[in-house]
Amino acid sequence: MEFRDAIRDAMSEEMRRDARVMLIGEEVAEYNGAYKVSRGMLDEFGARRVIDTPISESGFAGMAIGAAMMGLRPVVEFMSWSFSLVAADPILNNAPKMLFMSGGQFGCPIVFRGNDGAGGQLGSTHSWCVEGLFSNVPGIKMAIPATPDDAKGLMKTAIRDDDPVFFLESERLLGLKGEVPVGEDVLVKFGEARVRRAGADCTIASWGRPVHFCLEAAEALAKEGISCEVIDLRTIRPLDIGAIVRSVKKTSNLVVVDQSWSFGSPGSEVAAQIHQRCFDDLDNHVHRVHTEDVPAPYAFNLEQEYLPNARKICEAVRSATYNA
Amino acid sequence: MPISVTMPRLSDTMESGTIVRWNVKEGDAVKSGMVVADIETDKATMEMPVFDDGRISKLLVPAGQQVKVGTEIAIILEDGESDDAAPTARPVATAPAATPTAVRSAPAATSAARPGIPQAAPADIELDEELEVGGAKFRVSPVARRIAEQERVDLSGLKGSGPGGRIIKRDVLNALENLGSKPAAAKSSSMSTAAHATTGSLAVPVTPTARSTGLVMAGLQSTEVAVSSMRQTIAKRLVESKTTIPHYQVSMKFELDRLMALREQLNKDLAEQEIKLSVNDFIVRGCALSMAKHPYVNASWAGDRILMHQQVNIGVAVALDESKGGGLLVAVIRDVDRKSLRTISSDTKALSEKARTRGLSAEEMSESTFTVSNLGMFGVEHFTAIINPPNSAILACGAALKQPVVRGDELTIGYEMTATLSLDHRVIDGAMAARWLNTLKHLLENPATLLV
Repeated sequence: MEFRDAIRDAMSEEMRRDARVMLIGEEVAEYNGAYKVSRGMLDEFGARRVIDTPISESGFAGMAIGAAMMGLRPVVEFMSWSFSLVAADPILNNAPKMLFMSGGQFGCPIVFRGNDGAGGQLGSTHSWCVEGLFSNVPGIKMAIPATPDDAKGLMKTAIRDDDPVFFLESERLLGLKGEVPVGEDVLVKFGEARVRRAGADCTIASWGRPVHFCLEAAEALAKEGISCEVIDLRTIRPLDIGAIVRSVKKTSNLVVVDQSWSFGSPGSEVAAQIHQRCFDDLDNHVHRVHTEDVPAPYAFNLEQEYLPNARKICEAVRSATYNA
Repeated sequence: MPISVTMPRLSDTMESGTIVRWNVKEGDAVKSGMVVADIETDKATMEMPVFDDGRISKLLVPAGQQVKVGTEIAIILEDGESDDAAPTARPVATAPAATPTAVRSAPAATSAARPGIPQAAPADIELDEELEVGGAKFRVSPVARRIAEQERVDLSGLKGSGPGGRIIKRDVLNALENLGSKPAAAKSSSMSTAAHATTGSLAVPVTPTARSTGLVMAGLQSTEVAVSSMRQTIAKRLVESKTTIPHYQVSMKFELDRLMALREQLNKDLAEQEIKLSVNDFIVRGCALSMAKHPYVNASWAGDRILMHQQVNIGVAVALDESKGGGLLVAVIRDVDRKSLRTISSDTKALSEKARTRGLSAEEMSESTFTVSNLGMFGVEHFTAIINPPNSAILACGAALKQPVVRGDELTIGYEMTATLSLDHRVIDGAMAARWLNTLKHLLENPATLLV
């Protein structure tokens, strides 16, 4: 099953299970979604639950938050997370703080989902990787799946969660095929990382699309005799720092791979926490691989260099393990 | 102007000192030469005088605390100065430590630094010290430091393979492997990645149940004894010697019939003057005279060159009382090649006595160029000794024993002694050692040559 279909299945199963769940966004209904994620959902659930909107992110995001406060459980699709910046006030200033500011009277069970990051030659304003920007806000949860099975399990957990969840998909992963478990209760718990590959010399921690670059790098490094453990964090908030700590205690080295910009990013947060918690276990400082600190270029070759890739990860691991 | 009193360097090897007690308190008047504190060095407890008149404004380091040489420990104000003039405590400043190959170091008395004399910034000194001393300070990764502590690996013997010589995990693990032990997860390549994939095990690798060196054994009843500064210094210097100097040994037997007879005669003749020569006195004199023919034995390795010493200063190893924790000091007799047997004998006796009461001065413990260690008085026939850096050789002497010996074609009874020379092969080759021993043999077997 493709990654996009895994998300659709998760949403459809939850809509069948719970009548309060609805989908709202630009082109999600008649057009079956800009990236065909909601294919067939209008036919099954009707126009009252799968709702097309005008190009008005701030409006439909705010409306969905109101609906959530009144007891519905909306899923909001941003065609691209870059466009969510228009809706920054409702999604960052209202949704995550609602429970706190209302003294517990109103929760905000809502999922914001959409395409995140660069990789499709869409230019700088369409290529935001927002986890660095948005994960800073307390009150939100953030899931970033790397595989179809996690996409389904994390989406189902997100819809059932009583807090606002930011669900970040990568356009470059939507066509990725993989085994996806069947069943209503195939949930992936938030805050539980997954060891994608075991190793002993260096831990590589990542999430979302770069996990695949990490696995590619680990494969290449194994041929050089450097054994890497690849950890897929799956959610940034909550962050499974314990999994990284356990791994670093074994390998003594850590490379964090993050496709957002480096300054004040989840990658920096992981590095800071590992230096704090594992200082006596480290053989070198934590190395970070990030997207380059410039706006995303349009040209294909430059865009590839702008993003984390296997070559950069290999270089970081060699440096971290003193094999440079 | 406030006068800064710093921890003095009271011996060549002293890197830090402990203030055993202050003999003054803040506000007390002091005069130049007055002993204001007792300082425990790596070898002895010594008195520390001040070199200025004035009043103690601040005692910056409490008694019982160990601080590096050069650390400011007190401030003296001159007459008429108020306490406001005294600066607040400054960060630890360290004087550069003497390198192992240094032959001469600044006299101890110059160590009370005065404000007004420009000094390098502490940070620069730290950096220099790291670069200059090598083995004394290390750059080491946190996990390498932790494993070394757990496994009791001496980092001073390791060469770091990380950037700037940083000692990293694999350096310590390699050292452990070379010691013949393998911690639970020594090398990555030996770990089963498949096992981890299936079990998800993320166990911490190094959790030894017993020290790799075998020092700690489960079930063994032991009593802990605190280690003195002297014992720490002995341990450090001997490990440094054994791990950095390419040692080898050459042994030879000496016929001492004539020497023993001469000694008996001399002691009888000199009894009235209360002079009693020991066999060791003859050996020390013999060693010194041998240097004239073989100066390379009286030399030091200096990294990229050899220092041929113009003086023959022979260190005599003195064992301290076992009931007080033992210890070993090397008392240095200077210019031995120019001293008579009688002077050597009296010098040795005086210095040994001072050593046993921990009263040796810094000068009396420093600048040896060769060492003699003698266990003959305990009946030991043969042993080998560890070189006392920066010496290039040490002579380990056994007892002069009466035993059946072959003289000419006759089996008879005579005195024989076995001596073993430990040498630094970087400076002295085997043949050179053998020639030196032959010279010593000739001198000891013809002891009249030692008298003239």
